[in-house]
Amino acid sequence: MAAPWVGRALPLKEDARLVAGRGRFLDDLAPGRLLHVAMLRSPHAHARIVAIDAAAAAALPGVAAVLTGTEAAAGSRPIRPLIPTAVPVNDWCLAVDRARFVGEPVAAVAAVDRATAEDALDLIRVTWEALPAAVDAQAGARGEGPLLYPELGTNVLWHDTLTYGDVDGAFARADGVLEERFEFSRYASTPLETFGAIAEWDAGTAGYTFWTNDQRPGLTLAILAESLGVPQARIRLACPDIGGGFGNKRRPAYLLVCALLARRTGRPVKFVEDRRESLSALMQAAGGVMDLALAYRADGTLLALSVRDVTDEGKNLVSPAQHNLIKLGNIANGYRIPAVRYEAWSVLTNTCPAGANRGIGKPFMCFAIERAMALLARRLAVDPAELRLRNYVTSAEMPYTTPPGAAYDSGDYPATLRAALERFEYARRRREQVSARAAGRLLGIGIATSVEPAGTNLASYEIITGRRAASGSAEAAMVRIEPDGQVRAALGDPPSGQGYETVVAQIVADELGVRPDQVDVARGFDSATTPWLYLSGNYSNKFSVTDTGAVVGAARRVRDKLLRLAAHRLEADVADLELRDGAVAVRGVPTRRLAFRELARTAYADVLGLPPGEEPGLEARHAYQNPLAKPMDAARRVPSQLVFANAAHCCLVEVDPGTGGVKILAYAVVHDCGRELNPLIVEGMVHGSTAHGIGAALLEAFRYDERGQLLTSTFMDYLKPTALDVPAIDVGRLEHPSPYTPLGAKGVGEGGAIPAPAAVANAVEDALNSYGVTVRTLPITPEQVWRWLDSRQFNNVGSNFSESPQ
Amino acid sequence: MRLTVNGVVVEREIEPRRSLSDFLREDLALTGTHVGCEHGVCGACTVLLDGWSARACLLLAVQCDGAAVTTIEGLTPAEGLSPLQEAFRACHGLQCGFCTPGMIVLAHELLARNPAPSADEIREALAANLCMCTGYVAIVRAVARAAVARA
Ligand code: FES
Ligand code: FES
Repeated sequence: MAAPWVGRALPLKEDARLVAGRGRFLDDLAPGRLLHVAMLRSPHAHARIVAIDAAAAAALPGVAAVLTGTEAAAGSRPIRPLIPTAVPVNDWCLAVDRARFVGEPVAAVAAVDRATAEDALDLIRVTWEALPAAVDAQAGARGEGPLLYPELGTNVLWHDTLTYGDVDGAFARADGVLEERFEFSRYASTPLETFGAIAEWDAGTAGYTFWTNDQRPGLTLAILAESLGVPQARIRLACPDIGGGFGNKRRPAYLLVCALLARRTGRPVKFVEDRRESLSALMQAAGGVMDLALAYRADGTLLALSVRDVTDEGKNLVSPAQHNLIKLGNIANGYRIPAVRYEAWSVLTNTCPAGANRGIGKPFMCFAIERAMALLARRLAVDPAELRLRNYVTSAEMPYTTPPGAAYDSGDYPATLRAALERFEYARRRREQVSARAAGRLLGIGIATSVEPAGTNLASYEIITGRRAASGSAEAAMVRIEPDGQVRAALGDPPSGQGYETVVAQIVADELGVRPDQVDVARGFDSATTPWLYLSGNYSNKFSVTDTGAVVGAARRVRDKLLRLAAHRLEADVADLELRDGAVAVRGVPTRRLAFRELARTAYADVLGLPPGEEPGLEARHAYQNPLAKPMDAARRVPSQLVFANAAHCCLVEVDPGTGGVKILAYAVVHDCGRELNPLIVEGMVHGSTAHGIGAALLEAFRYDERGQLLTSTFMDYLKPTALDVPAIDVGRLEHPSPYTPLGAKGVGEGGAIPAPAAVANAVEDALNSYGVTVRTLPITPEQVWRWLDSRQFNNVGSNFSESPQ
Repeated sequence: MRLTVNGVVVEREIEPRRSLSDFLREDLALTGTHVGCEHGVCGACTVLLDGWSARACLLLAVQCDGAAVTTIEGLTPAEGLSPLQEAFRACHGLQCGFCTPGMIVLAHELLARNPAPSADEIREALAANLCMCTGYVAIVRAVARAAVARA
């Protein structure tokens, strides 16, 4: 067989259209007679909606319909949460009698264009009764503060303590305990294309068609059908090119609003968020506070970990406690920690709903653990790299199951760190740091390492609900040879920048003996033509874990059929046949061959030429579930995520004591995502993912004031890294294939975003070592640095200045 | 109002409040120009206005009366891709591709004024636009590669 296509750094098929501006994104679609939607949003963090008067808005020329929350509640059912609350609460697509965060939609207008729709919003009169806002999740965990849902009687959605192993014994035996509190700000990966949807109602068939850049069509289809009271068979949902996702791109409520307006007006309606709507109301990574205690022996061996984690969910009723579960699943990072205790709080506040964001929960978990490792190294006067090397799970121990049930499948964590140190020239840089410091420069080196799981096992929700609903990790695909012999494939996972059209073509090319440019992979997703499952979608790093299996499985079915057809027609034995260059040929006899086109003619047209009993057509579907997903066991252990990649980040920063600015001077990554299916894509994922982590470390934060007003709702005050903030990240790799994925690949989308915040924070703390600074929260803004330095300078000179106002 | 878009003279009557980006996308169906923020920060809407890069979301279409506007469509050959576009593809200087038209317009302007930019100069120029996917590393590579290809 020729060298496989999988593994090659092939330039991307989809890039050819995207560089020419020929992508087709949601807002590029415009069905005839289209109406445009604008939404009226709450200016209050928490308020009762006493009355809405929309008469003037409805009368404005160009306005086709106005939808209020009350009307939405009359025309649809509440959105069913993934994890139900103890007492059912109704979460409709528009706020009905109460708004619970700034930016929550309370009414929507459909008009001939967006400007007219926005004009109409100005004419809607809402009578508000402002209520005190709950903005402090810590207070919520203590049972204090105003309630978002009085019927729940609490803002705490989940509180539990999970203990694995002899935690108390380990703490009692330990030589020392490191205790620290860390805080994580809310931030988001903010895909450049905002979220949006088009809905169309067909009165003739009583069905809906949606176009959307929703990342998780399987789940969304279920919600749409249930909330609209329409059978799934009469809902079609399609995704075009998606301009970035990172977990943020989901809001079934907006699709429901569009559906109700489409039905009301009989015309297709489109809603596309503007940036302020996106930043204030779509999805933010949950912030929170984590108290961590690490028990260790004098030699630095970790004995036990105890974490108390208060997660600020905002108004997240859809997937509460998801961040908690993912943190629990990754609590041990790459370390051998025999005993673990995790006390979780998932708390509602009057802020934007928290939700999936590149790495969901893991960046915070990794930040806490890797900050603790840095502090412990300093306490024990051990090199931080050495401390990690003493504690890693080794490859000899794999497969290794962590106390809460995560199964580390393969990899050599010490080797990853060593390779990163070498790449970074750690020893040389440490020496340079000493001389730079002597010259008065504030140089710091930070290390952070992480595991990076792929694929979510929804059975982990059983930890919270006590019963299993959805579970496992799976995806579906289709491969077909068209009547003209051309190969086509489709996947239930709509990409948002991961190059699936290329990778899927590489995989199919290997299976069928064609070139990737001979395989047409469907753009996006279309429930009418793409095979899909409830679990289908672009989330949780799952391509390597499930999607590859679906594609391989479908391609093999087609290959087997091609072989059977060819054997019949060539009167040869299947074992003597091979697929190459778009044909099936008798091995060693190149003249005895049948091109796919000829076999397709038999399969689709000349069906009497088929072998007896063979079904016409050349198409196969396959759905694949990864075997690592398991139900929760009696000890409440469950693999919440499946296959583990790993990475080591080394970072050199310089702090400018004058401005408080932090500049990253060098950044090296070594990662191991198993077999790399297309190294060009993999490297890009590492770069981009790391940049997200750097943004979280130095720039990005959604800041709310004490009344729940969002202070950072544009890109002028919510700062994203530019080309001047992200260094030329140097990427090296190891490849330890996973034994548990069809092609040996692992996830790679999140691996930069998980350790980068910790790596940068560790470097800044190292730079400010002489000031005795401990980094407990992010982002490390110039103002923050300046405050640290300022207070220290005052202290150092024994100043009488007091920090408190006189 | 009358302006030249990608070499073609366009005459239209338009509402004074229509932005150039809406005008290009909605009225002329030139959807290669994207909109990422509509407040002048992200640069997804970058076009050339009389040869200089400009934010189409911050311009009113009427302000462009008499001007020559070039969009990504105008920088794309009828057949195949430009060397700059080829370089973006070869280096995978994109992922989702949403920022890409704006980045390419920006890089086009840079290379027109500075045919052999250093990596720092490239970074400085590209810092005008945001990319949420690539971390910029491969974009910088792509622009450097295009500069070498043109030299
Ligand atoms: S859309 Fe114009 S700068 Fe962002
Ligand atoms: S490639 Fe997605 S924003 Fe740049």
